[in-house]
Amino acid sequence: MRKILVALVLVTLVVGILVGGVFAEGKKPKIAWCPAISDPFYYMIGKGIADKCKELGLELFVAEYPKAWGPEVQVPILEAVAARGDIDVIITGPTSKDALIAPLKRIHDMGIEIITVDTYIGDGDYSKPSEYSFPLTFIGTDNFQGGVEIAHRLAEMIGKKGKVFVETTNPDVSSVVERVEGFKKGMSEYPDIEIVGVEYCLDIQEKAQQQVAAALAAHPDIVGIFGTNLYSAQGAYQAVVNAGLAGVVKIASWDATEDLIKALREGKVDLVLAQKPYEIGTLAVEAAYQYFVEGKEIPKRMVPGFFFFTRDNVDDPEAQQYIYRAD
Amino acid sequence: MSRTQLVARIGRNWVVLFLFLLCVIFSFTGRGFLSLKTLNNILLTSSPALLLAAGETFVIITGGIDLSVGFVRGLISVISAIVIRDLYALGYSPYFAIFCGIVVGVLLGLLPGLVNGILVARFRVPPFIATLGMYGIANGLALRYSKGFPITFLPDEVGEIGNGFFFYLLPGRLFTVFEKPLGLTEAEARNLVGIVPYATVIAFALLFVFGFVLSKTQFGQHIYAIGGNIDAARRAGIPVEKHLIRVYVISSLFAAFSGVLSTLIFSIGTHTQFAASLELFAIAAVVIGGASLMGGKGSILGTALGVFVLSVLEVGFLMSGILPFYRYIAVGTILVFAVVIDQLFPEIVYD
Repeated sequence: MRKILVALVLVTLVVGILVGGVFAEGKKPKIAWCPAISDPFYYMIGKGIADKCKELGLELFVAEYPKAWGPEVQVPILEAVAARGDIDVIITGPTSKDALIAPLKRIHDMGIEIITVDTYIGDGDYSKPSEYSFPLTFIGTDNFQGGVEIAHRLAEMIGKKGKVFVETTNPDVSSVVERVEGFKKGMSEYPDIEIVGVEYCLDIQEKAQQQVAAALAAHPDIVGIFGTNLYSAQGAYQAVVNAGLAGVVKIASWDATEDLIKALREGKVDLVLAQKPYEIGTLAVEAAYQYFVEGKEIPKRMVPGFFFFTRDNVDDPEAQQYIYRAD
Repeated sequence: MSRTQLVARIGRNWVVLFLFLLCVIFSFTGRGFLSLKTLNNILLTSSPALLLAAGETFVIITGGIDLSVGFVRGLISVISAIVIRDLYALGYSPYFAIFCGIVVGVLLGLLPGLVNGILVARFRVPPFIATLGMYGIANGLALRYSKGFPITFLPDEVGEIGNGFFFYLLPGRLFTVFEKPLGLTEAEARNLVGIVPYATVIAFALLFVFGFVLSKTQFGQHIYAIGGNIDAARRAGIPVEKHLIRVYVISSLFAAFSGVLSTLIFSIGTHTQFAASLELFAIAAVVIGGASLMGGKGSILGTALGVFVLSVLEVGFLMSGILPFYRYIAVGTILVFAVVIDQLFPEIVYD
C-alpha cells in the first residue's frame, strides 16, 4: 500500500513536471513597461507596446513615466515592479550604462526577463557572455548611423559645399554625442564642407536660439545646421527665421514631433529624421512573445531603421505613422 | 572723494566694469561680436531670463530663496500655450486668443507664489523646502498637461509678436519701423538687422516698474528691512508675514511673465527641461548682481547686469570659438568671485 502510494506520488510528480514544463513553454508572459522618462519618444514606444500586447492578447502593466532621467529615479520603480511577483518580462530603457547593471541583474535573478529598448547596459553587446549580457535583447536606434545619413542628405541639399553648424544638447549623453560623431564622419567625405562649430544648449531652447543666432553673426555664410534633437532644432530654426534666412539656411533635425513636422511643412526645417519608437515597442513585445510562447531564440540586437521626412513626402499617408503623437 | 572711497565705489560697481571689459575682449576675439545683430540677439534671448531673475531678486533680498521659479515658468508657458491653441482652434481671432493666454497665464502665476508665501510666512516652512515642494508640483503639473510634448499649433502671430522688432535695418539700403521687409534677396536677408525687440521692451518695462517699487517706495524699503533683520522689522511694526507672502507672489508672478514671454518667443509652450536649472541661473545672476543670500542686499539693476554677464559670456565664448566646457568653468569662477568681491569691499567703506 505504502509502495503504491509512493509510486503514485512519483508518477503524479513526473507527469506534473512534464505537463507543467509544456505549459511553461507555451505560457503567455505578463509584460511590464518601465519607461525611462516622460517624453514623446517614450510615449511612442509605450504605444507600440500597448498595441502589440492587445493584438497578441498579452497582459501589460505600465509603470509610471518618470519626470527625471537617472538611476536614482528609475531603480526604485523597477524594484517595485519586480516585487509585484506577477511579471515575466520587464521592458525598459536603462538610464545609465553602468549603474543599471546590478539592479537589473538582481531582477533577472528573480526569474524576470529583461528587454532594453532605446538605451542599453554595458556596451550594448549582449551576444558574448559578460556581466551585462543577461538581457534578452536590445532594441534601439543606431545613433551614429543616423548622424552619418543626416550628413549625406544635408550635404546633398547644400550642394556639397559651404559652412555647417551643429546645435546639440548635452556633452555627456551618449545618444546625442553619437549623432554628432556620425554627422562629423559623414561630412568628412565632403572636402568643401566645413563644420564651423558644435554647441550645447542643455535642452534649453532659448540657449539654442541664442547660440545659433551668434553662430550666424560670426559666420554669416552658414548654409546648413544640424539640430540633434527637438529643442536644438526648434531653437535653431527660430534663430534662422529671425535672421530672415528661412529657406536659405537648410536645417536638418532629429525626431519627428508634431512641431518639427509643422515646421517642415512651413519651410522652416528641411529634413527630419524619424526614429521608429512605435516599432521599437512592437518589436520588444514580439520578442517576448516569441521567447515565451514559441520558445524561439531571440537575436541579441535589433535595429529599427529610420524614416526621413522631407517636404516632398511629409503628406504621404504611409509617412504619417512615423510622426510622434501624444495621444 | 578719497582714494579708499574711489576703490570702494569701483568695487561695488565691479560688475559694470566687468561687463564692459568682457564686451571689449570679445569684440577682439569674437568674429562679428561687435555688431547690432549680436546686441539685439543678446537682448531678445535674455528677456525671459531677465524676468525670472528679477522675481528671484525680491525673494533673495528678504533672505529667502525661490527654487520653484524655473518650473513655474514652464507650467505657465504650457498653460498659456494651451489657452492660445484651443481658443484659436475654436475660431477666435489670434490676437484675442493670445490676449487670453497671457491673462490666464499671469493670473495663474499668482497661485504658486501665494502657496509658497503662506507656507514660509505662516507655517514657518524654510523657503528652501517650501519652494522645493512647489518645484516638484509645478513640474509635475506642466508634464501632466503637456504630456511631455511641447504645445504646438499656435497661430503664427504668436511668433511674430515674440520675435518682432521695432526697427529693421538693411545697412545703407532700407530702414523700416514695425514692418519686417519682405521679398529680400538672400544676400539682403543675411544682412537685415532687427533692432529693439518687443520682448526686451516688455521685460525692461516690467523691470523698471518693479525696480522703482523696490528702490523708491516704502513697500520696497520694508523688503530690505525684513532681509536685514527680521526681528527689528517686526518690532518696527512692519507686517512681516503679509509682506513675505507678497514677495513670494511677486517672484512667481515674474516666473509667469517669463513663461508667457517664452511662449511668445519660441511660439510653442514648453515645460522646463530638468537639465535646464533655470532657477540656479536666476540665482547666479542675482548674486553676481550684488545680492547676498543672507538677505538685505540686492537690486533689480544689479540683477539685470548679472543676467547680461551670463549672456555675454555665453555668446562671446561661442563667437570666439572657445570650447563650451570652458564657459561653465568661467561662469562658476565668476559666481564665486562675485561673492568674494562683495565680502571685501563693504569693509573698506566703513574704515
